[in-house]
Amino acid sequence: MRRPLRLRLVLRDLSTAAAFASMAISSQVPVWALVLFALALIVALTGRRPLARAPRLTALLLLPVAGALYLLVASGRMDLVVAACSFAGIVAAQRLLSESSAATDGQVLLVGLLMIAGGAALSGELVFAMCLLAFAVLASLSLGLAVVEAAVPPGEPVPVRAVMRPLARGTLLAVVGAVLFFVFIPRLNWNMGVRRATPGLGTATSGFSDTVRLGGSGTLKSNPRVVLRARLTPDPVSTEHLSAYWVGRTYDTFDGQEWSTIGAANRRHRTRVTLRPGADKQVYQRIELLPAYGSRTLIALETPAKLGNALTHTPTGDRRTRLQELGGDELRFVDDGLGYSYEVYSLPPGTDTDPGRMNETEMAQLLALPENLDPRVEQLARRVVGDEQDPLAAAQKLSAWLQREYQYTLELSGDLADPLEDFLFVRKAGHCEHFATALTLLLRTLGFEARLATGFFGGERVGDEYIVRAGDAHAWTHVLVPGRGFVTVDATPPAFRANQSLQILESLVSFYEAIEGIWRTSVVDYSFRDQIDFMRGLSRPPRDPSSPERPSGPPARAWWTAGLVALGVYGLVRYLSRRPRRPSMGEATRLVDAVERQLTRAGLPPRDGETLEDVSARFTRDAHPLGPTLAPLTRRYLEARFGQRPLESGERARMLEDLRRALDTWRQGSRSNAP
Amino acid sequence: MNSPARATPALSSPAAARTALEQVAANLSLAVRGKEKEIRLAVTCLAAGGHLLLEDVPGVGKTTLVEALARSFSLSLSRVQFTADLMPADILGAQIFHAATASFSFRPGPIFRQLVLADELNRAPPRTQSALLEAMAQGQVSLDGVTHPLPRPFTVVATQNPVDFSGTYPLPDSQLDRFLMRLSLGHPAPDVEARLLVLARDAATAGTVVEPVSTPEALNGLRAQVAAQRLDETVADYVVRLAQATRSHGDIERGASTRAVLALGMAARAHALWEARDFVTPGDVRAVLGPCLAHRLLLRSANQGTYTRDEALHLIEEIARKVPAPR
Repeated sequence: MRRPLRLRLVLRDLSTAAAFASMAISSQVPVWALVLFALALIVALTGRRPLARAPRLTALLLLPVAGALYLLVASGRMDLVVAACSFAGIVAAQRLLSESSAATDGQVLLVGLLMIAGGAALSGELVFAMCLLAFAVLASLSLGLAVVEAAVPPGEPVPVRAVMRPLARGTLLAVVGAVLFFVFIPRLNWNMGVRRATPGLGTATSGFSDTVRLGGSGTLKSNPRVVLRARLTPDPVSTEHLSAYWVGRTYDTFDGQEWSTIGAANRRHRTRVTLRPGADKQVYQRIELLPAYGSRTLIALETPAKLGNALTHTPTGDRRTRLQELGGDELRFVDDGLGYSYEVYSLPPGTDTDPGRMNETEMAQLLALPENLDPRVEQLARRVVGDEQDPLAAAQKLSAWLQREYQYTLELSGDLADPLEDFLFVRKAGHCEHFATALTLLLRTLGFEARLATGFFGGERVGDEYIVRAGDAHAWTHVLVPGRGFVTVDATPPAFRANQSLQILESLVSFYEAIEGIWRTSVVDYSFRDQIDFMRGLSRPPRDPSSPERPSGPPARAWWTAGLVALGVYGLVRYLSRRPRRPSMGEATRLVDAVERQLTRAGLPPRDGETLEDVSARFTRDAHPLGPTLAPLTRRYLEARFGQRPLESGERARMLEDLRRALDTWRQGSRSNAP
Repeated sequence: MNSPARATPALSSPAAARTALEQVAANLSLAVRGKEKEIRLAVTCLAAGGHLLLEDVPGVGKTTLVEALARSFSLSLSRVQFTADLMPADILGAQIFHAATASFSFRPGPIFRQLVLADELNRAPPRTQSALLEAMAQGQVSLDGVTHPLPRPFTVVATQNPVDFSGTYPLPDSQLDRFLMRLSLGHPAPDVEARLLVLARDAATAGTVVEPVSTPEALNGLRAQVAAQRLDETVADYVVRLAQATRSHGDIERGASTRAVLALGMAARAHALWEARDFVTPGDVRAVLGPCLAHRLLLRSANQGTYTRDEALHLIEEIARKVPAPR
């Protein structure tokens, strides 16, 4: 048996790797499946196929794997799609390590296709598209080489260099064709099987949940992914970095370990919500929450007064969505989506504000302390604050003291029975949640009403909008000041409030997200209407609102487009006309097949390696009775096949009929001559 | 290989070309009896514009064949006996000093003929052998910075004795590669030898008794006709696949060169004329495969000194059987 072409196997293995990666980027495939596949791939790429000796046994081993996955699904510990994807990965790994044959190659590519389908079900992001493209290109090249390899007789080298160029050209043309098809051919929105889109680089990490566990999300500060974009009116043009608090939700109950809210959800769903009466000089924000945000809680500059006009971005397009009010000023989107955009009016900092609708229980909760609070906390608070009676002044004293005496760190202290005691009296180091919790509880021990607020701090200017990164997630304290409402006091040292990721990482992620944005708008959300607009745009200039007069005659853009199209058509015609025209060979080859069949049936099969030309020459040489019939037929076949004089219509049938008659005559003659 | 003279038009049709070829072959059969196949191949080689290497023991009619070829086509002939003391100038010619005029003039050597018989080529040292290289490849001779074109048509027919190798210089690969075909006449069949006795004619003079039946211009026309033959892409691919098979064969140290591929194509084109065709078939390629390739292959067994001529032909036949022809 001929050794399979190494390049083809490498391309095949890499295409499978691309297919597996399309699932793996959703970060839902379990680690053991990732490791197994990666190991199999590395071994396969080195050219070793260790499972080739026992293909059946190793295939049987897949059964217990399937059984184990089934049990995981049945017990609810694994999602069905994830289990199917993992199994596909294991099957692919087994096939990669088996001996290459036509059947194995077909199975590997088929499993690759299934994994691509799995990847589409788990994610539909930019990286998936890259994996899909890589799979399509590599698998096409591998398949093309397989066809060439099969056509080359055993013992001869496969002309890889000669065929790779046309193969690559064909694949490139196919990709270009697919792009043109995508851009121009009207589509239906077909989103069956779309499960849930994940937000690109791993799962979303904004840290919003119903509870805040102290010491639970320290590493978030170094995550540079952009979670929010906002346009502000009035725009503080002179500011490159905002020093603003973007509030998401507040918490009033601390049980010693984690924060929660007692406020019950309002069942009403509304498109606009007014949290507190407006005031002059409100800051208007047009906010977009990106897929990386990964939560349904609305974010707004402190202190939000009105929120609404929200749109949910889904794979099928944008749609209006309603908002639900929860306890602690939190607003949440009713529908799930990839991202959201909405409008907010916030009161400028320093404005006296209404604390919002709060019932007595909620008000009482602003002073609640955990049951087993260390008595040293209150002593500490009294020692720092003294006899200060003003809540804001007390909060500022405590805040200044905390910033002075305590260290900022992102190292987590692990699970502790009393994380606050650990922060205040043992480690004396923590991150924003520790500082904010300490300040809030210190205030409460003195009888000042306070709560924990979470959201983001900061904002970087990009063009005419501001972006907020996942690492900008922050926690601070709201002190209730009589007559002024909730006032923000931040105990975290100012240098550590905003995102703390590396500059280069930020640049890389920004670049990725810019491409992802293009992918989302130009591919994922590219609709029939976009197609119409695109084609209209080719012939019509975009309307210039500053010139009300319509230009007379077709615009220059239309001429350019027409010129380019004409050039393209001319180039194509020229290319096609330059290609040597090959006459249809099929007819002549069918003739030779039929002649050989007739000769074989008559007991005159061609000898080993003999062509019709050889048979005819032999008949003539041996003065065989069929020689005079076969010679002109052979000559005509050769002319049609190699001499560019194709057979005329019906000529093949005529010649075959002549041969049949000659063979009949010859048979009769042979019989009558037989003794 | 010489390119056909541009001014020479192709013959009117492949049928006319076949008639011309058959006329010459029939004429040659009068001089060299019982060697129809070899004669056909020799004429094919000449029509393809190639040089011919005749390899055989003495006395089987090599020289006779060459002389008859020259007579048949009315070509000017020179015969150079290659010996160990032969110098390049003895073949190419030299600058002669004229004392009276105190000037040099070029005296052309025997190579300035339309057909050059290089008898026992391997007896001359490599320096002298290589004097032929430029002439065979480019149809010209360069001496003292001056290029002298050779007459058209120009063909070298070399002979060598495959048995008596003592005191010989084996032809280098570059030299061998320049011969389009290598033929071996072999001893005539007994009945032919008997008939030769009856005719009572000296084999050495047989070549000179045939009558001219063609002209150098007609040979140029044949060459133009050969160059115009159509070679289908699939047949070209077949030629390349055959050559590649020689390169990857386990018993062959060095397979066919690119020049060999071109030679094979040209010889197949010429062979198609025997069937009065203006296109080449795989059968034409196979017909000239052995004579075109056998002398260009370096067999692994050659290193062990066990190489025989038939072994190369046998391997080529095996390759021809294995490589499927286009259909």
